[in-house]
Amino acid sequence: MPLLTIATFLPILAGLALMALPDRSTKKAHTVSIAATGAVFLITLGIWARGIVAGDFAQVEEIAWIPAIGAAYRLGVDGLSLPLVLLTSLLFLLSALYSARIGERAASYVVLMLMLETASLGTFMALDGLLFYVFFEVSLVGMYFMIAGWGYEERQRAALMFFLYTLVGSLPLLLAIIGLYLGSGTFDMRVWVEGTTLGGLPAMLALIAMLVTFAVKIPAFPVHTWLPAAHVQAPTAGSVILAGVMLKFGTYGLVRFAYQMTPEAFAQAGQVILAFGVVSALYGAFAALAQSDLKKMIAYTSVNHMGYVVMGVAIAALATEPRIRTIALDGATLQMVSHGLVTGALFFLVGMLQDRAHTRGIGDFGGLLGRVPWLGWAFILSAFASLGLPGLAHFPAEFQIFLATLNGMPWGLIAILAIVVTAALYLRAIAGVFLGEMNDKWADMPDLDRREKLVVLPLLVLTVLIGVAPGWLIDMIHTTMTGLGN
Amino acid sequence: MIWLALTILAPLGAGLTALALRRAPEAIALIGAALGLAGAIALFAGVAGGTDITASLPFLPDLPIRLVASPLTATLALVVATVAAMVLTYAAGYMAQDPERPRFFGTMLMFVAAMQLLVLSGDWITLLAAWEMIGFASYLLIGFWHGRNGVPGAAMRAFLYTRTADLGLYLAAFLLIGIAGTSEISATLATTGTPALIAGLLLLFAAMGKSAQVPMQDWLMRAMAGPTPVSALLHSATLVAAGAILLIRTAPMLPGGALLAIGIVGGATAVIAGLMALAATDLKRLLAASTASQYGLMLIAVGAGVPIAALLHLIAHAAIKSALFLGAGVFQHDRESTDLDTLAGAGRTRPGIFAGFAVAALALAGLPPLAAFYSKDAILAAALDSPSAAWLLPLALAGSVLTGAYMGRALKVLWSGTPEKPHDPVPLMAVGMGVLVALAATLGLVFKPLEAMLGAHLAEPGWIVPAMGLAVGLAGLALGWLLAPARLLGPLLAPARDGFPIAGGLDALVVRPALALARLCDRLDSWIIRRVVLGGIVTGAQALSHRIERAEYWLLALVNAVGRLNLSLGQISLRTDRDTIDRAIFGLVDRTVALGTRARRLQSGLIHREMAMTVAGIALVTGVLLAAPLFF
Repeated sequence: MPLLTIATFLPILAGLALMALPDRSTKKAHTVSIAATGAVFLITLGIWARGIVAGDFAQVEEIAWIPAIGAAYRLGVDGLSLPLVLLTSLLFLLSALYSARIGERAASYVVLMLMLETASLGTFMALDGLLFYVFFEVSLVGMYFMIAGWGYEERQRAALMFFLYTLVGSLPLLLAIIGLYLGSGTFDMRVWVEGTTLGGLPAMLALIAMLVTFAVKIPAFPVHTWLPAAHVQAPTAGSVILAGVMLKFGTYGLVRFAYQMTPEAFAQAGQVILAFGVVSALYGAFAALAQSDLKKMIAYTSVNHMGYVVMGVAIAALATEPRIRTIALDGATLQMVSHGLVTGALFFLVGMLQDRAHTRGIGDFGGLLGRVPWLGWAFILSAFASLGLPGLAHFPAEFQIFLATLNGMPWGLIAILAIVVTAALYLRAIAGVFLGEMNDKWADMPDLDRREKLVVLPLLVLTVLIGVAPGWLIDMIHTTMTGLGN
Repeated sequence: MIWLALTILAPLGAGLTALALRRAPEAIALIGAALGLAGAIALFAGVAGGTDITASLPFLPDLPIRLVASPLTATLALVVATVAAMVLTYAAGYMAQDPERPRFFGTMLMFVAAMQLLVLSGDWITLLAAWEMIGFASYLLIGFWHGRNGVPGAAMRAFLYTRTADLGLYLAAFLLIGIAGTSEISATLATTGTPALIAGLLLLFAAMGKSAQVPMQDWLMRAMAGPTPVSALLHSATLVAAGAILLIRTAPMLPGGALLAIGIVGGATAVIAGLMALAATDLKRLLAASTASQYGLMLIAVGAGVPIAALLHLIAHAAIKSALFLGAGVFQHDRESTDLDTLAGAGRTRPGIFAGFAVAALALAGLPPLAAFYSKDAILAAALDSPSAAWLLPLALAGSVLTGAYMGRALKVLWSGTPEKPHDPVPLMAVGMGVLVALAATLGLVFKPLEAMLGAHLAEPGWIVPAMGLAVGLAGLALGWLLAPARLLGPLLAPARDGFPIAGGLDALVVRPALALARLCDRLDSWIIRRVVLGGIVTGAQALSHRIERAEYWLLALVNAVGRLNLSLGQISLRTDRDTIDRAIFGLVDRTVALGTRARRLQSGLIHREMAMTVAGIALVTGVLLAAPLFF
């Protein structure tokens, strides 16, 4: 059974079916949404159960598409993409559950979400350059409408900025893909990842083009400025998908394309890339510290966390010892998953807070922990996970990245100062919103209901599980990264 | 293995149970603490025979979690478990009226579990993880009464100070793992040369944060915002002890330069924090400053190259300081304050508690045959024998005089006011405190066999060291009892009360510049958005609008391309139900147009709907195009 194909296209087909239905009521739309994303989640579990292989892509599904130019429909997974596929299907399912409350043009909303899921899964599983680019671009459109249609007060501006930023940002990738095609005569990414397609100046030019695209998507300083605006204005599920899934396009591309396809050029530019990672990590942390809007603050911490991923990949290219390279890549990949879970939870929780209070300003709250203990403790746990507390998901990832950095390129470790800054900003947010004297304005704020708990709890459980015993996930990543590090 | 698991998991399991059940938390806590204590006793008995007990669990690739019960770590685990059990017994009485008891006991137990993990850790990752977890648990405990004024700030400060210092442990761990190629602590202790010096200094930095050494002593004073049993646990055998434990465990690796630095920091803290304790106006703050000062004395011993002396003082201090805090908690219970003026005479109201408090205070001052008499002598002897005796010994002696002085003052205040009528009896509190007082009095007797078990041989001090120790202890007590702090300290009184802020303290040196930098980043971001991005959007939108007329053409061309491509796909296309595809595509386009129309209504006019619509149309059509051959 072509599980990869089914998982990829089931959402959009469900969306099309919904459009064809005569009755597109809110209830029906959300039923379709939850059923489809739930089914996709189960299918991706099936893909997981089938497993991956060391040193190659597993479960490859291939159909001739445009043979004349060597483009084919090719999907496959390895230890880099499969964790992200699982993360994607989980976050879309939880987003569908969370969004079940949306009544405004529900059918259109659901179709967009399902289209986004197809695009996201396709991006991670595509093994054909052209196919990858198509999925990559379609996701952009979906998110544009998501923000413009269901966002908050200044959604038009934010949506537009997001769209133009990432659209312009993704054109260089197209050039790089064409370059790789010209160098190899095929769009087969399995050929490209051998890393011998391009060399010398063409490889460096292709790398620069890819780095531009992925730096916008990751996002890295200084092209990160679309992110806070887009996050603040996006609807909650949009923020979760944007941070949890779509930012990973950038880091996934950084490894799959930049690191794997132009390895020598990547190593030559390694110091520069590392510098961008370090600056992003520190800049994101400090910029987050200055925010008084909860959502914006969390958005900036994404810049910080993704900066660590960039650092890890750069170290993998710079380090001489295979052991260190593997540790760096293990950490970078785990960090992608951890960030998706933890930041996903944080955006959900802020969304729930905003649903209740219609404000996101840290100064507008106070003492809520006594009033809404579920919401408060879930936020505290997620916040401490985000600031890298051991026993929670970010610690093993960041530990590996920093360990590799010290033993690969020690100057990069100045970025570790950011863990104190993130601690400060989260503690400030917790103290401002949940501790201290209760603000009477929120005296009858309700705590999380069953549906909301159902959305947040899986993320918290996985956060703890990865923090305490990451073996079930890291072993799969390690299988592939051992090959990539050598 | 099973005893290791019991020692760590019994408190953890009990803590989680207390949080989940939300009833009978005291009983659950006591069962958990008792099981943990049983595990620690079994471990201690097990390693007394001479073989270490180890366990290994998978964590990261090639970096497993290792636990090790050696004579040193098993002893520490026993100390932690004993103090924890007594403090929890006491807390069952102290917290009886608090509605949030399940949360209190749950967090306390999780804290104990994390501390046991730290003590028994056999690799750097586990040590680091536990190290940060106790920071988190203490944040929750200090902030327990989170609705009260000043409490969130105190909790935040404690976590941030210690986390800043934790950077030292992170860096040292990365360095040592990188050099040794393994994360096992015992293997990394073979590191020598410059890396050992750098790692040693980094570990000292980490220890300074946790053990509240100068200049990072401030958070400990403020941490008094938490419930008193929390202070009793944090200050004695756990949180603050972690710093000294780290240095004691890594002492075999530390080269001369690192030892020198440790001695300087310890000596400075012993005196400065001692002065702060003497100047304090609040009993809990007095005890907190005393904690920092006593850990300074332990660091002197490590710096003098005799970590075993530091360990003995750590054990003695654990029993003494927890007993003192528990006593202070009873007085606080009676007078609803820990202000020294308010507490005047509180000791007379409860002579039994006061007697216990006094025994612990005299023990800390170093009177024979109480516990700290022996451990302080070991420290003085170590300082005397060290190459840096010229300045280590005076600092150690000054620290000891100050110990006597502030304990003397505390005893005087508690005894000399007017008694009030006695309050309700406090049986549970008395039991918890009583056991610890008994330990504070008698632990000195086990020090000799303990040394043998640890394979260490302290030089038998002659008469001069005990005489010196006794003299400074008695002198200090006399001074503290007879003279007011203002007379003793003179011009030092005011800065000692403020905690000797240097150049405005860490707030001025670190916090304000960090916030300024944060604001700068924020402004830079706004500038980028305003000037670069929005400027670019306007230009881009204008350029794109010229192409709008051709939008229809693009769409048509694409739909045609769909047709052509389908033909080229031959046999797959043959099976295609043309109607289905057409319906799907036109449905999609219609749908997209509808969406675009809505989007336009929302647009501010900066950009025309056609652009967005066109791109969406292209993308959606392409998506369907990709899927079509497979599904129709």
